[in-house]
Amino acid sequence: MPDVLRVIDFGRVTPLRSQTCWHAVAYGVSAGAPPTLSFARPSDPYVCLGYHRDLSEVDLGYCAARGLPVYRRMVGGGPVYCDEGQLFFQICLPAALVPASRVEALRVLLRPAVEAFRAAGVRAELDADGEIVCGEAKICGHGAGQIEDAVVVCGNLIESFDHTRATRVLALDGDEQRSQTLDLMRRYVMATPADAGTFKSAMAAAYARALGCAAQPGRLTRSERTTMAGLDARFSSQRWLAGPGTPARPAARQVKVRAGVWTFAASHGRSAVVASVVGGRVERAHLRAPGLNGRAAAAARALSGRALPEVAGVLAGFGAPGAELAAAFATADGRRIA
Amino acid sequence: MTDTDKTALVQVAGFPLALDRMYEGRTHMWVARVGTGDPSIARIGLDSVGVETNGTLAQLSLPEVGEQLTVGRPFGQLEAAKFVGPLVSPVSGTVVARNEAAAADPGLTERDPYGDGWLIEVALTDFGAWLDGLTGEPDEIVAWFEAEISDYRMKGVIAQ
Repeated sequence: MPDVLRVIDFGRVTPLRSQTCWHAVAYGVSAGAPPTLSFARPSDPYVCLGYHRDLSEVDLGYCAARGLPVYRRMVGGGPVYCDEGQLFFQICLPAALVPASRVEALRVLLRPAVEAFRAAGVRAELDADGEIVCGEAKICGHGAGQIEDAVVVCGNLIESFDHTRATRVLALDGDEQRSQTLDLMRRYVMATPADAGTFKSAMAAAYARALGCAAQPGRLTRSERTTMAGLDARFSSQRWLAGPGTPARPAARQVKVRAGVWTFAASHGRSAVVASVVGGRVERAHLRAPGLNGRAAAAARALSGRALPEVAGVLAGFGAPGAELAAAFATADGRRIA
Repeated sequence: MTDTDKTALVQVAGFPLALDRMYEGRTHMWVARVGTGDPSIARIGLDSVGVETNGTLAQLSLPEVGEQLTVGRPFGQLEAAKFVGPLVSPVSGTVVARNEAAAADPGLTERDPYGDGWLIEVALTDFGAWLDGLTGEPDEIVAWFEAEISDYRMKGVIAQ
């Protein structure tokens, strides 16, 4: 059991520092600093990309035109839009205190956050997919990672959320995928405008209780400040932004909105599909196949509500164009979108 | 150890287990001899419980050929359930091959963790000492594996 939970509130910081401050904490905890709960609110909007994700998933032209910086973090998950309507939190512990199973570690480290949401008046739950939700909507975007010998789990209190901009910063296949993604985003990502002060106090109490120690306000050590300056340079470099190499990239352009809820755009031959998938079933599909001769809408209706493994069977009734569409569907793999 | 291409699997508490190789207990990494060639070349991968308790594998970053590995230190990264964490090396040596198919499709490691889903091959630094810390006797492997599964089930990490 640790002696103390250090609590650092970085307050309102630049987009770059809203990332590098807590990465510096992780290096500090790895080097022997106490477990730390931190908070940061970005002063301006920006886009943040998960460690393995491909930069081509972000509409860099749009971001540049709007002055939105793009940074790559060292934890998982997809590209996300961040702004001052989101209070970010990070819990960081020595890896030795965290279960070796990632699934178990995430549950253990997110449970106190759920308690804090509830204490702040939000009816939050940790669902079977490991997401913090209120009803069916995700209310906290989380990511996790091990940085040297420290494990960090990040999340946010979403006080307000610009669904349109959060969709616009993504590089999507076209207007149809953008429209479908925005629709799912509005339904499955929800702001919970709780009082930030209450939430922060509840977070400190919940994590201290979980760790069996006392929460104590703290600050970065001299060493952590030096590390943060180095991280500022690293995170600002094109080399770091480019990513770690050759990640697995599905053929389809896929966007996950929350666990089990995603859109994809894929093509095969002269046929193309854009679809929304909820709970493993096609909710909505937009099909383009020249050989369908006006039956695209009928095929799309036939797919609505069908489980993904049933898609090929349904499209078999539409001859060769249906087979091409089925091949396009087969390139999508929602299980592997982090 | 025997040729990894002729893997015989046993089922232990519902999980497949290969007894023709050695295991590092905490990380669930396995180490096996490659074919019948140079005995100082070892293949490394994740066992089926290691795969299960990570969640769906989304991404794998593997080291380049020629990189030096140190036992107990990270040699790559794995992302599952939005958690990026290190793949920790059970041996020291030099990377001589990486499984490009698994890097391109981490699902391969889920589907066939003891076969086609291997991760890297390593030329071992000290062939005489590398067995230290690994479990290699079939009886010990089965007992360890059963205990791990039981523990994870008690914690609700893997289904009964």
